[in-house]
Amino acid sequence: MSSRGSEAPEGPNLRSASLARYAQMLVSHIELRMLVLIVLVVVGLSLLSPHFLTVNNILNMMDQGVVVGIVALGQTLVILIGGIDLSVGSLAGVTGIVLGLSLFHLGVPASIAICLLVGAGFGFVNGAIIVWGRIAPFVVTLGMMSVGRSLAYVFSGANSINNIPESLAALSGDSPIGLPTNFLCLIAAYAVCWWFLTYCKGGRTLYAIGSNKDAARVSGLNIPFWSIFAYVISGVMSGAAATFLASRLLSIDPIGGTGLELDSIAGVVIGGASLFGGRGSIVGTLAGVFIMVFIRNALNLLDVSPYWQGTAIGSIIVAAVLVERMLSSRSRR
Amino acid sequence: MALLRLNNIWKRFGATNALSGAGITLEAAEVHALVGANGAGKSTLARIISGYMQPDVGEIEVDGRMVRHTNSREAIRNGIAIVTQETSLAPDLSVFENIMLPRLGLPGWLNWREMRLEAAALLMQMGQESGLTLDTLVGNLSIGQRQMVEMLRALALKGRIILFDEPTAALSPRESARLFEVMRNLATTGHGLIFVTHRLEEVFTISNRITVLREGKVMAGGVPTHSLTQNDLIRLMVGRELSDIYARSHTHGARAGEGRGARNAAPSADVVLSVRHLRSPPQVRDVSFDVRSGEILGLAGLIGAGRTETVETIFGLRSAKSGEILFNGARLAVNSPRNAIRGGIGFIPEDRRRQGIVPDFSAKENLLLSHLGARRGAFLGYRERHESITRLLDVLSLPTERILDTNVMNFSGGMQQKVILARWLVLEPRLLLLDEPTRGVDIGTRSNIYGLLRRIAADGVACVVVSSDFEEVIGLADRIVVLSDGKNVTNIPSNIMDVEKLAMFAAPRSSADQTHRVLEFLAATYGGLAFWASLDGDRIFCFDRAGVDVEADPGFEGGDFPQVANTRISTALCARAEGFVAEPDGDRHTMLMPILGPSGHVFGFVGLCLRVKPDGLDPAEVRRHVDAAMNGQAPAVTL
Repeated sequence: MSSRGSEAPEGPNLRSASLARYAQMLVSHIELRMLVLIVLVVVGLSLLSPHFLTVNNILNMMDQGVVVGIVALGQTLVILIGGIDLSVGSLAGVTGIVLGLSLFHLGVPASIAICLLVGAGFGFVNGAIIVWGRIAPFVVTLGMMSVGRSLAYVFSGANSINNIPESLAALSGDSPIGLPTNFLCLIAAYAVCWWFLTYCKGGRTLYAIGSNKDAARVSGLNIPFWSIFAYVISGVMSGAAATFLASRLLSIDPIGGTGLELDSIAGVVIGGASLFGGRGSIVGTLAGVFIMVFIRNALNLLDVSPYWQGTAIGSIIVAAVLVERMLSSRSRR
Repeated sequence: MALLRLNNIWKRFGATNALSGAGITLEAAEVHALVGANGAGKSTLARIISGYMQPDVGEIEVDGRMVRHTNSREAIRNGIAIVTQETSLAPDLSVFENIMLPRLGLPGWLNWREMRLEAAALLMQMGQESGLTLDTLVGNLSIGQRQMVEMLRALALKGRIILFDEPTAALSPRESARLFEVMRNLATTGHGLIFVTHRLEEVFTISNRITVLREGKVMAGGVPTHSLTQNDLIRLMVGRELSDIYARSHTHGARAGEGRGARNAAPSADVVLSVRHLRSPPQVRDVSFDVRSGEILGLAGLIGAGRTETVETIFGLRSAKSGEILFNGARLAVNSPRNAIRGGIGFIPEDRRRQGIVPDFSAKENLLLSHLGARRGAFLGYRERHESITRLLDVLSLPTERILDTNVMNFSGGMQQKVILARWLVLEPRLLLLDEPTRGVDIGTRSNIYGLLRRIAADGVACVVVSSDFEEVIGLADRIVVLSDGKNVTNIPSNIMDVEKLAMFAAPRSSADQTHRVLEFLAATYGGLAFWASLDGDRIFCFDRAGVDVEADPGFEGGDFPQVANTRISTALCARAEGFVAEPDGDRHTMLMPILGPSGHVFGFVGLCLRVKPDGLDPAEVRRHVDAAMNGQAPAVTL
C-alpha cells in the first residue's frame, strides 16, 4: 500500500481513491472509528475548556468512568448476542448490600468474592429464564430490575451501610504507577474481555449467536451455554461495579447503581454495537463510555446546568445510532 | 396495444445483477410463460411487476401508460394481481377473509354481504363450491387448496393482469391440470396471464408465448410456444445441453434394478445411514431409506412433503417421535446438531441467509463456523485448519484473496453456497445432507456444484440431496426416494425415472386420496385388487394399490417398478386391450383403463386384477364407474 502511494504521481484521482480507502477502513473497523472519534472529542473539549486536560481532571474522569465502564463490559456481551440487560443497576444495588453485610462478618477479599458470586447467581437466573423459558430478554431483565432493587431494600432494611474498611477504600486510591487502582482494574478487565472475544471459541460464538442464531445452531455451536454465560458475566460485573462504588463513596446505599442500566447501554451503543446483536467491539464500548464521561465532565466544567446534561447525552446516543445505521447499511447488503 | 410492457429493467443486489436489461410484453388473452433456470431473475422480474420491488432502472407500461409502482397496492390499483409460489395467506383467518384481504387496503367502507356474495360467485366460477367453504380457517386447508384460495384472492382483485409465480410447486399433476383449465378460461375472457415456472412440460401445456431469461438478460422475448422444441428451450435457458450440466456417469444407479420399491435389500456393509420408520409429526410420518458410501441419494417431493423436516430430524434439529436412525451401523442418538457434527454428519440448510451465512463474519470465519462447533476446548484452533482450507479453496475454485473479505453478504449466491459447502468439507464428514443446494445459484456455479458433489461422493461420502426441482434430482442423484405427505412412497434408481413419473409418485395424499378411493371402490365392488400405474417401455410403475384379496396379487405393490415380464399379469400389460385379458395360465384376469385429464393428457391407468373369470361383467360399466369417480363424483359404494 505504501509503495504504491510513493511511486505513483499524486493525481487528484489517486488522492480521492486513497481517501476513499481510508473512509472504507473507518467504515470497516469499529475500533479505528472510535479512536478517531475519541480524539476529536478530546481535542474539541480541550479547546472549549482549559481545565479539561489538567492532570487532576484526567484522574477524576478515569475514576468517574470506572463504575459505568465495568457494567458496560457485561452489557456488551449481552448486547452482542442480541439481548439486553436492564437489571444491571438494581443488581449493583443488591450486590452492594450483600457486600456491606458480608463485611460485618468477613474479610474484604471474601466479601468481594461473595458479592461477585451473588451477582453471577442473579445473572444465571436471568439467562436461564431467557434461554430455557424462551422469554424476551427485555421482559425478564425488566422483572429482575424490579426484584433486585426491592431485595436491596429488604436486605438493608432501607438503611445505608457505612463500615467500609480502609483496604476496600484503597481500590479507589492511587496505584504505585500513579493511575487510580480501580481504573487499572477496569483496563485489565477490558483487556481480558478483548482477548476472550477475539481468541476464544466462546467469544466468537457470542458474535455468531447475535449475527445469525440459526446458522450458529446448524453449525453446532453451544447456544444455550454461551447465552447464559453472557448474562452471568453481566451479573458478575454488576457485583464488581457495586464494589467499586462502595470503595469510592465509602458508603453503601440500597439505591446505589440507579441508572446504570441506561448509562451502560448508552456506552455500548455509542461504542458502535448494534442492538440486534452480532456487531460491536469491547474497545468501542470503552471509548463510548469515556466519551460520555468526557462530555458530562466538560459540561460541568463549562457550568452548563445539570438539567441540560440529559438532553446532551440523549442526543449523542441517538446521533451515534444514526451514524452507525448509515455506516452499516453501506457495508451490509 | 400491449396490456403490460416492461422494458430495459435493471436490478442489482449487492455485487450481483439480478436483472440486466430484462423485459417482457404481455398481450390480452394470452398465457405468457416466463422461464429460466434457478437464479435467472424470473422471480425478481415477477416481484417488480407486482410492485413488491422497485427496479433500479427501467420502464413499466400498463395499457400504454407509464407507471411506477412503489408498493403492491399501486400495482393492484393498476390491475395487476399475483399468485405466489409460497402462499402468503393468513392461516388464522377464514377462506372468505383471505380472499377479500386486499380490500382492507382500500379506502372507504366495506360491504360485508356484497363481499360474501362475490366470494361465493368466485368459488362457483372456479368449480370449487363443493371443495371449499368460505368459513373454513385457511390453516386447516391442504396446500393445493391454499393455492386455490390464493388464486381466488387474485381474481377478487378483478385485475386484468395475473401473475402466477410457480403455482404448481406444491400441486399434484391432477391439481395442476385443474389449475391450467382455470388459467385457460381466464385467458379466453381477456385476461393477460404471466406464468413463471421452471417446469418445461408445463410451459408447452399451457402457454401461448415464451420469454426466456438467463442471468438477468432476455434470451428470447415473446416467442410463440409452438415455434420452439423442448431442447431449444433448454438451450436458451442454460446456454448448453442439459446433460453437460449434470456431467453424469452412472456408477451406482445401475446397481439397484431389482424393482422392489419401499423395501430395501438387506443393509450391506457400506451403508452409512439407515433410516427406519422415522416419525417426527406433523411433517414426517413414516420415512425409511438407506444411503451407501459414495452414493448420492435424492429426496424428492412437493413442497410440504416433509423432505426438509426429514433431514433436519436426522441432523438433530428436530426430535424424532419414533423410528430408528442407524449411522455407520450404530444407533444414532442425535439430540443436537453438535452431536451429529461430531459424529461426522454435515448439513447444508435450505435458506442460506437465514440458516447459513453469518453476515458479520469474514468469509474465513464463516468457513470455519462448523469447525468451531465441532471443536472441544476453549480456543479457536483456526490455524490447524489452515492447510485444509487452502486445499479446499483450490478445489472449490474460490479466490484466495477474498477469503478475508468481511462482506460475505456481497458474495453471489453461488459463492456463498461454496463457502458453506467448504464449511462442512473442512470437517471431512461421512454423510452430507444438502437441502436445496442450488437454490438461488447461477447456472454456471450450479454445474460446478454438481461436479463437486460427484467428487465428494467419489471420495466415499454419502450424500442426501433434497430438491424440489425434479430435473435436478433425476440428473444428480443415483437413487431417488420420493416423499409424499411425510411418507416415502418409492425408492427408485434415477436412470429409470423421468419427471412425469416422479410427479405422479410425489402427488400429495389430498389428491391421491381420490384415486385411492376409486381403487378401493373397484376392489370392493368387483373383488380382486385394483391398482394405479404407468407403463414405460418394459417397466410398470405402480403408484398405488388397493384391495384385500392377496391371492389376486399382480406381482407388484404401490411404489414398485418391476419389469413387465416379471409381473404376474405380463400378458395383460403387454396387450393393453380394452376389456379383460386373461393370463395364459388362466388364473388372473386384468382390465386396464387409462385416466384422462381435462385436456386429454394421460395420467397413467387404473387396473383391476381378478382371480375368477369375470362372467357377466360389462367392461364398459366398470369404465363408466371409474370415469365418474375420477371426475370428482364420489363412488356410489364405499367400504
